[in-house]
Amino acid sequence: MVQEYDHLFKLLIIGDSGVGKSSLLLRFADNTFSGSYITTIGVDFKIRTIDIEGEKVKLQIWDTAGQERFRTITSTYYRGTHGVIVVYDVTNGDSFANVKRWLHEIEQNCEVVNRILVGNKNDAPDRKVVLTEDAQRFADQMNIQLFETSAKDNINVEEMFMAITRQVLRTKQEHKERQAISKDTVNLRPRPSTKKKKCC
Amino acid sequence: MSSNQDLIGIIQAKLSSGETASSCHEASLMQGWVRASRILALVEHENEWALFIFISSRMPPEVFTDLAIERVIPVDSDFKCEIDAGEQSGDVYVNISSRKLKLLFEMIPGIKTNNFVSEIMRSMEALMKLRGPPPEFQWLHKYSGSTSNRNSADCDPAPVDAADVDVTKGAKTVAEKMLDIDSPDIVVPRQSIAQGATPIAARESVIRYQMSMKEDDYTFTETLRVFIGTWNVNGLPPNASLSPWLASDMEPPDLYAVGFQELDLSKEAFLFNDTPREEEWRKAVIAGLHPAAKYRQVALVRLVGMMLILLVQEKHEKHVRNVAWETVGTGIMGKMGNKGGVGIRVEIHNTSICFVNSHLAAHVEEFERRNQDYHDICSRLSFSKFVPTKCIKDHDQVYWLGDLNYRITEMEPRIVRDLISHNSLSALLECDQLNRQRQHKNVFDGYREGPITFKPTYKYDPGTDDWDSSEKNRAPAWCDRILWRGDGMEQKEYRSHPILRTSDHKPVSALFESQIRVIDVVKYRKVHEEVMKKLDKLENEFLPQVTVDNTEIIFDIVRFLEPQSQELIIANTGQVPVDFEFIKKLDDSKYCKEWLNIDPAASSIKPGEKCDVKLELFVDKKSASKLNSGEDKLYDILVLHLDGGKDIFITVTGNYERSCFGSSLEALVHISVPVREIPIGKLVELENVREAPGGMEPYPIPKEIWFLVDHLYRHGLKKQNLFLLTGLHSELIAIRNWLDNGSSEPLPGSLYSIAEALLLLLESTAEPIVPFNLHSVCLGAATNYLQCKQIIMQLPEFRRNVFLYLCFFLQELLSHANENGLDAKTLATVFGAIFLRDPPRVSARGRVNPAVMDRKKASFVYHFLVNDLSDYVMSKSLHLSGTS
Repeated sequence: MVQEYDHLFKLLIIGDSGVGKSSLLLRFADNTFSGSYITTIGVDFKIRTIDIEGEKVKLQIWDTAGQERFRTITSTYYRGTHGVIVVYDVTNGDSFANVKRWLHEIEQNCEVVNRILVGNKNDAPDRKVVLTEDAQRFADQMNIQLFETSAKDNINVEEMFMAITRQVLRTKQEHKERQAISKDTVNLRPRPSTKKKKCC
Repeated sequence: MSSNQDLIGIIQAKLSSGETASSCHEASLMQGWVRASRILALVEHENEWALFIFISSRMPPEVFTDLAIERVIPVDSDFKCEIDAGEQSGDVYVNISSRKLKLLFEMIPGIKTNNFVSEIMRSMEALMKLRGPPPEFQWLHKYSGSTSNRNSADCDPAPVDAADVDVTKGAKTVAEKMLDIDSPDIVVPRQSIAQGATPIAARESVIRYQMSMKEDDYTFTETLRVFIGTWNVNGLPPNASLSPWLASDMEPPDLYAVGFQELDLSKEAFLFNDTPREEEWRKAVIAGLHPAAKYRQVALVRLVGMMLILLVQEKHEKHVRNVAWETVGTGIMGKMGNKGGVGIRVEIHNTSICFVNSHLAAHVEEFERRNQDYHDICSRLSFSKFVPTKCIKDHDQVYWLGDLNYRITEMEPRIVRDLISHNSLSALLECDQLNRQRQHKNVFDGYREGPITFKPTYKYDPGTDDWDSSEKNRAPAWCDRILWRGDGMEQKEYRSHPILRTSDHKPVSALFESQIRVIDVVKYRKVHEEVMKKLDKLENEFLPQVTVDNTEIIFDIVRFLEPQSQELIIANTGQVPVDFEFIKKLDDSKYCKEWLNIDPAASSIKPGEKCDVKLELFVDKKSASKLNSGEDKLYDILVLHLDGGKDIFITVTGNYERSCFGSSLEALVHISVPVREIPIGKLVELENVREAPGGMEPYPIPKEIWFLVDHLYRHGLKKQNLFLLTGLHSELIAIRNWLDNGSSEPLPGSLYSIAEALLLLLESTAEPIVPFNLHSVCLGAATNYLQCKQIIMQLPEFRRNVFLYLCFFLQELLSHANENGLDAKTLATVFGAIFLRDPPRVSARGRVNPAVMDRKKASFVYHFLVNDLSDYVMSKSLHLSGTS
């Protein structure tokens, strides 16, 4: 019997309250959009299985409460995360200004993790206040990939999730390769007495 | 769970007389995307078998009325049963199919499943061995009503020749009614899922099942020109080009399947199965192929004189997969290779094709032997490299060619020849044994043959077109035939090639245009993706889901010792039962603060049902001090966790009204007004800074203690069991209000309540009178009064004051022991626990025997109840009768 998936990755969506984290997830997992706003109070997840370069990847995507008061609690959900999606609202300058804080939050709570920056609600040009150039400059500075999406109009959502998944997949493969190399090194030069006794 | 015997009995009661349920089993039917419980039973009626599928209103069923027949599948020649053991889950998947009906059952691995599946296999074998006309399944007609009707796909095109009279109409009607296969997009039976807890079937087998159901969506058909040839060469080597036979059509065929019989009649060939003829004829075939295309040999199989060679055009080679070949001897002793069949099977794109070349028993009267040979080949020719093995009938398309050896009966050779010369073939064909046996369904049931327009191909004088002139003077016959079975196959040509005169037989060929299913990779991916999406969506839908009526629980004003509660309603709005639990967050030791109690903190909710959770907020002696000092607030975020699902945050807030209960002695001595009269900020400051607010000389002891003790001193010295009997809760509240708000009224409540309030006041402080850091020192010194005394003298001023003040009072109480019945030991025990309250960690560790600890605390206090305390330096205001 074929295995259900080749990889299982946990992704996390963070960002200010109301930027559309849940909508992005709903669009990606169920291909639906609800115009009515319901604050996420807690953390929720959905799954989706995608095919990337012939590999079956099962994604477990966690959507978190963006409200300030939950920040300490939500930070506990960063553990074991392979990729973090930081979302701001292109029509809300504050949410973009807070991206730095969210990125900091990631540094505090994750070791090595793939990140992606997402400007959501990119469907009303007249209300857009975070200019693409500014966001791109910031993204370049932080060495993070930028996507402008619209969960409402289903623009770039699929692509964005694919991009972060690809990143995670690449990291995993690189990690594997590194491990293989280090194994080889050990084989070539066997070190006789490296037994360090750990005291407890 | 009822035993299998009980279950068989129940099923038997559901059947008519003459029908016997021989075996039964519980299984899960993969209904579209989810599984549902079913009971399967194998039922026999006069050597005919059928698989019954029951739905039961309860599991296990208790009486036969619990059962409803969902479907009845006759075990006929179309019935297939394949096992697919799941490596991951360990479950066994059984594919039952009959024509276009495909059902996937999941069974629990084990002896019961093994037994049941082998019973099914046995019934299929029994069918194989059955001689004479195939079963008609008349007895199943009465059950056809229990299955809903749906127009079946055209799985059985109109018969091509007269031999295909629809004798099995009855059985087919039954089977077609069974074709009511659930649409792959069946609406999920939510209710049934809700009842049985395991909704999503093992994903991979569902994907495979779904993909096979949607085959039409991602495949298209391509027409393959298939050339089938058969020739009995009478043991002779090739002596002429085979092109007139193999390349007689304008267009080159895509595929050749060329069969020979009597390739070599030598003893060596028979005994050692070795002959130079194989290579000679193989070369002759290759040389005779259509010149307009290039061919590659796919497979060659030979058993003694029977040889089958399969070739495809070069361009198709890469689409040919899973090639296998097998041989079956039915000759001497029923085993030898002088008669029998050889077969090659391949998959071309997404269609499986089987080619069988057979040489059946000879002699005019032996038609029943020929039938037998056919059945033997059917049952014994199996391609064993596949698991499970594949038989001839397990293929989408079958071509059967060969010297079948059926003759023309009851006719003088002279008459036969006469009729042939007058071109009256139809009269002869009516007497053709194969046609007759097929009409009786004794052989080649389900196969078709094109109309014969050519002269009999047997028996000629080799090298001529003349009928047999030997002594035997055999009547001419159509020994050499080509039949087929399967969908999308169209015969374009059926002919003999008399120009080839090597043998006493003439070669025969047929040209087919057959539809091959080709996978459209792009569409396949799309369909596959859709299937995955659908499964993902279902998986998401089957995640536990609840709604809570309120995520912000607000308690208005909360007072010390007055519990308040609110209800939180958790409703299961999802498809599956939910196990919820409030979980700890971060480094907390409990899932909620100590002033909160959640009941239940974990439970299960069925879909559509609710659970009322009671949140009780209660500030008692343990939590009051932290709330007073501002170390804690009435604010907590609860994490409601759904097992296997999401977490919901529930915020609990309240407004705590501070009280003298929970205030430190140090703060209280600095407050001259009732606690409620000073601003909260001031209180917090007093608790934390410990500095006298400007202007006020601190009291030697808190006025609240003085009020309580003074009252007891005035009115309670003679009261029996003071400090031993508990007060009333309502009176404690009244006393609290009197102390916190101030009042001109006398102190309310009974003496017992006032005594308890005093204890409570002392217990509610963050630290006991003897600070935690002196706790173990005190216990160590408990037997030595002098040491105890020293420790007390070193206490901070206000604590020492309170300690001695209370001891004076207790001595006063004991001086009235005659009236109040109290004794020093009892009071020492009560106050020992209060003066020397355990530090939080000690009680948690629990290493020291608590009874021993209690005794030591009591003996520590005891010293101060029985010794004269007058030598202590006492401030004037400590006199019991003093006023403040």
